[in-house]
Amino acid sequence: MKVLSLYVENDTFIHKLEPITKLLYALISIVITFLFPSIMVGAVFVAFSLLLAISAKVFKRMLLLLNVVLIVLLSMVIIQGLFYRQNVTPAFKLWGLTFYKEGLLYSLLLIVRVVNMIISFGVLILTTRPSDLVDNLVQKGLSPRFGYVLASVLQIIPQMLSTTSTITDAQRSRGLETEGNLFQRFSAFFALLGPLVLNSLVEARERAMAIEIRGFSVEGKRTFVRQIPETKADRWIKISLYVAFIVAVVWRIILWVM
Amino acid sequence: MGDVSTKISIEHLTYKYPFAKNVSLEDITLSIDAGQSIGIIGRNGAGKSTLCYVLSGLIPRFFHGKITGKVTIDGEDVPTMPVEKLIRKVGLVLQNPFSQISGAKMTVYEEVAFGLENLGIEKDEMHERIDTVLRQFDLYKKKDENPFELSGGQLQRLAIASVLVLKPEILILDEPTSQLDPRGTTEVFETISQLKTLGITILIVEHKFEKLVEYVDKIALLHEGKLLGYDTAEHIFSTSEIETYGVGQPIYTALCKRMGLKKANGYYPVSFGETVALLNGLKGSGMDRRTYNG
Ligand SMILES: Nc1ncnc2c1ncn2[C@@H]1O[C@H](COP(=O)(O)OP(=O)(O)OP(=O)(O)O)[C@@H](O)[C@H]1O
Ligand SMILES: [Mg+2]
Repeated sequence: MKVLSLYVENDTFIHKLEPITKLLYALISIVITFLFPSIMVGAVFVAFSLLLAISAKVFKRMLLLLNVVLIVLLSMVIIQGLFYRQNVTPAFKLWGLTFYKEGLLYSLLLIVRVVNMIISFGVLILTTRPSDLVDNLVQKGLSPRFGYVLASVLQIIPQMLSTTSTITDAQRSRGLETEGNLFQRFSAFFALLGPLVLNSLVEARERAMAIEIRGFSVEGKRTFVRQIPETKADRWIKISLYVAFIVAVVWRIILWVM
Repeated sequence: MGDVSTKISIEHLTYKYPFAKNVSLEDITLSIDAGQSIGIIGRNGAGKSTLCYVLSGLIPRFFHGKITGKVTIDGEDVPTMPVEKLIRKVGLVLQNPFSQISGAKMTVYEEVAFGLENLGIEKDEMHERIDTVLRQFDLYKKKDENPFELSGGQLQRLAIASVLVLKPEILILDEPTSQLDPRGTTEVFETISQLKTLGITILIVEHKFEKLVEYVDKIALLHEGKLLGYDTAEHIFSTSEIETYGVGQPIYTALCKRMGLKKANGYYPVSFGETVALLNGLKGSGMDRRTYNG
């Protein structure tokens, strides 16, 4: 059984950064692009995030991620181009429909924001082992219990997906409809949910006992088998990010006051 | 080994699960010496798992309910022992290998580390201990694999390794082979015989009697929460009542009972080896050769 994972193993500078540094970059770059209603600012961050993706050698995977939202992005262009409230200047006509400049520009702004969000988080997810991210957060003070839940969700979702396909296979071989029209597939999905949930409940109790036996609820200092070091680079990047964030906020307030 | 000392002592233990009508363990008294291996048998619902949970502290820490009597390990009261301490004394392996892995770790290596991390074991010692158990359980080559990708037998060995890395003095296994194929079963029993040589006290719930009798010093027979027998395998299985408790018996014992073949000490054989020896002896003494040589 192959476990699915988005993480791409490699040995680049980006891979070696602390997960928290990458998380911080994603969060701060997103906040900044949303603070400024400027396509330029967004484009700069998109370009920079792309640069990170390329240097982490995950560009191809990133395109796959972006592909998933392509339809959403396209529909944004159409909807805003046609119906944006402040539409006044016609840009072009297509099949008798008038697209307006204001709407198109606004959709472009939304697109750079969303694309940056995907790429910056994509860099984090594609270059970080999920359990390292969680360990890193726990080392920084996240409750181990919450960390455990997070880590097991990250591990078990791909696992559930493979269970799902196992059960789907089993049910298909018993004649259940797993293809066909939407309604058929929808009811097949619910038939599948039963065994999945029941399975999970029984397993959850046993798993809770098993981790109890291995000292999960012992209070006191924990250690980590994979200590993720905070390098000089991490420290400098974090400081720059905080500075960029403060500058952006102050600047935004000044713009707003004036 | 030097002095034989009492490791586990149970006196008049009675336990009732919350909301349950009847008690699941009733007035159990037994003691287990250090380094012994004990088989626990009984039919479904006899209370075998419940006994395991009491000894490993899951009762009353995880399951509440009403517990009376006295349970001690090395003279110390188990229900009130601090968890950190109890974990270092008792390890428990459950039936389903799949639900025993933490599910939060991405490699076999890190899975084994889980308990050590919880106890705050220093990093150097952690690596040393993990390397040792992975080699001991023939999992070293798998150390970078995702636990979910292991086979059942490997997964159960991982579960045992993850518990033994905490260096418990007592290991309790609750039907560790029931989900495994013959090969996985053999793997687990081989592991158990290794552990015996290390002086670990072992309790094992098992339905595969032919295997079990080869590895244990004594057998505890539970029935409806009561301890009906606690003795060597030949004593337990030679009684005529054994069949009335619905636990079954080793196929060799059943065969010899049917044929009326007893060992020199008056008990029926329980293992393959004993049965073969007995039959060979009969052959020598001039019984019908065709029956046994074919
Ligand atoms: N959580 C629970 N709450 C209430 N009653 C329980 C609980 N777990 C077990 N019991 C009851 O306690 C009794 C002993 O159960 P136990 O699981 O210890 O049996 P067992 O010998 O391990 O059986 P099996 O061979 O099926 O594993 C049974 O009658 C069972 O119904
Ligand atoms: Mg049981």
